[in-house]
Amino acid sequence: MIHLSPPVINDTPTKTTGKKITIDPITRLEGHGKIEIFLNDQGNVANAYLQVPELRGFERFCIGRHVQELPVLTNRLCGVCPAAHHIASTKALDAVFDAEPTETARKLRELFYMGQYTHSHIAHFYALAAPDFVLGPSAPSSKRNVLGVVDAVGVEIGAEVIKHRSYGQKVQEIIGGRATHPCFGLPGGVSKQISEEERAQMEEMARSCVDFAKDTVKLFHDVVLANQDYMNLVLNQDAYYLETYYMGMVDKDNKTNFYDGDIRVVDQTGREVVKFKPKEYLDVIAEHVEPWTYMKMPFLKQVGWNGFSDGPSSGIYRVGPLGRINVCEGYTTPMAQAEYETLAKTVKDLGVTGPVHYTLAFHWARVIELQYATERMLELASDRSITSDDIRGEVNEPTEGVGICEAPRGTLIHHYASDMDGLCTMINMIVATTNNYAAINTSVVQAAKALIKDGEISPGLLNKVEMAFRCYDPCNSCGTHALNGAPALELNVRNADGSKLKTLTNF
Amino acid sequence: MFLMFDEHERTHKMANSEKCRKKTLVVGVGNPILSDDGVGIRVARLLKEMEIPNVDVEELSASGLELLDMVLGYDKVVIVDAIITEGGTPGTFYTMEESDFERTIHGASPHGVNVATALALGRRLAGDRMPSETSFIAIEVADIVNVSESLTPEVAAAVPSVVRKIITDLAKD
Repeated sequence: MIHLSPPVINDTPTKTTGKKITIDPITRLEGHGKIEIFLNDQGNVANAYLQVPELRGFERFCIGRHVQELPVLTNRLCGVCPAAHHIASTKALDAVFDAEPTETARKLRELFYMGQYTHSHIAHFYALAAPDFVLGPSAPSSKRNVLGVVDAVGVEIGAEVIKHRSYGQKVQEIIGGRATHPCFGLPGGVSKQISEEERAQMEEMARSCVDFAKDTVKLFHDVVLANQDYMNLVLNQDAYYLETYYMGMVDKDNKTNFYDGDIRVVDQTGREVVKFKPKEYLDVIAEHVEPWTYMKMPFLKQVGWNGFSDGPSSGIYRVGPLGRINVCEGYTTPMAQAEYETLAKTVKDLGVTGPVHYTLAFHWARVIELQYATERMLELASDRSITSDDIRGEVNEPTEGVGICEAPRGTLIHHYASDMDGLCTMINMIVATTNNYAAINTSVVQAAKALIKDGEISPGLLNKVEMAFRCYDPCNSCGTHALNGAPALELNVRNADGSKLKTLTNF
Repeated sequence: MFLMFDEHERTHKMANSEKCRKKTLVVGVGNPILSDDGVGIRVARLLKEMEIPNVDVEELSASGLELLDMVLGYDKVVIVDAIITEGGTPGTFYTMEESDFERTIHGASPHGVNVATALALGRRLAGDRMPSETSFIAIEVADIVNVSESLTPEVAAAVPSVVRKIITDLAKD
């Protein structure tokens, strides 16, 4: 058990007389985003919007290029999960070229991908989630960051975090050619055989990552589950609870798989609604457009769009760690399975039957997935057959195809069409955060309504609103890399006519 | 005690690169298919072609923690990236220090760790392997929204000047 100073759960709100609150840009969200909160005459929340900017012209940029370029172009969309784009894109090429990857190629791709999960989930948990849990949602923003976490938990643990995150990167670099923006995926295979020395190196790193993930699960128990104040936040159904549909990839036994399988959707009671193959995604998913944001909002076609609401009549679904843990019936690796059973028992003891609808449970699901990713990484890296030179399958004439994998943030869909010369004629992508967008917005509205009352606001309260979407690990970054950013957190209080009454910042 | 890279990693790194690290690293940061956002990458590619003695050149399309992985073991690091300032003229460039970035929140940060935080984290966790000198060349840009492999004309015109500036500064060492 780590002994930490008590986290700062609450701070003192002050009264505002404005009607519009803006949180812009959102801290610890990948890419710029802005939250607008509109108050009514009583100072309660009338509505809230998470607005997301978008890059322009990517589709036009891709049309006419050779489809085999797409795995290295689409992964440039994002500096955060390029590996996920590379894998989904490579799988789409398998389908476009009707090419079955060899067993070695499949294993190398999945091993590479476990490196991505290890790196991504470690970074989210320690750099983005832990500041809220270790220091407290109302701790001063100057402390509520990864440096504050290191100060609290000690440099030894901090060093382990950086080391194991770096191991995840290293595995990707060995197989993928580059740690970020890999370039090894080809239709029906991969471009590079690995050596026995590289395999052994990855096995050693994976073994260490398994132990580190185990320590992370324990840290989560010690810091979050053992703290009643946090559990009160987690279990606050007014602020952090949506009864939605869930979506995620499973294997033939309905066990979680990040790399390959069918996509399973369950309803609010856990009953399977549909299980579909990648090429059938358009039969299941439709997209809704709102005038106030660039990002589309996918929903279940058979249920329909019913506004920003939960329940069986709303086609909104959730993906990512919470989606996956709710659609699966467990894990194929022992330590992740054991922790999954601990979670299942814990929620059962709370009287929950069926899916876990608590939004903040995303964090617990994520650390379970970290355990699974590291165990699977060790399984694959221990397999001496992955050094085989049988890394390319046969390819056929290019046509059209869909590739899906589970990005760390959720289901990721790439769909391409090609002409006879292999030139791209159509590209459609539904990325993980887009799948979650309607749910994220619904969560923001719910948290804002529950937490902001009578016009009373504070940095801590606003951070608790942010926590409602931060747990989704949303990523809208798509690769904008200018050095400077806007101020860390700005809150504008405006009159009904839009004029600014007051500005609060947390920096 | 702590080592960010343990022995087999270090061996691998050495086998893969230069046998031993050079003193200075120049990192071009950006997205090469996002218009002016790729200006740092263009500068890095030109510098790499010049094969300057004792200077390694890398490209980075993410920063924050990824940057931290990259800079360990160097004495000096120069980071070249795009910037947008209020009222700034595209194509002008500035020499900046780490403290200038403490308030940024995005800054190419995978998982929300900005450059200053990443470097501070590195010093906290691996101080003996962090560069003693870190400087930034920030190039004012116009377009970081449209997907394109081209820079806007004003920014493209600045690239040779930035390369000259870096070479001149390195020659003073």
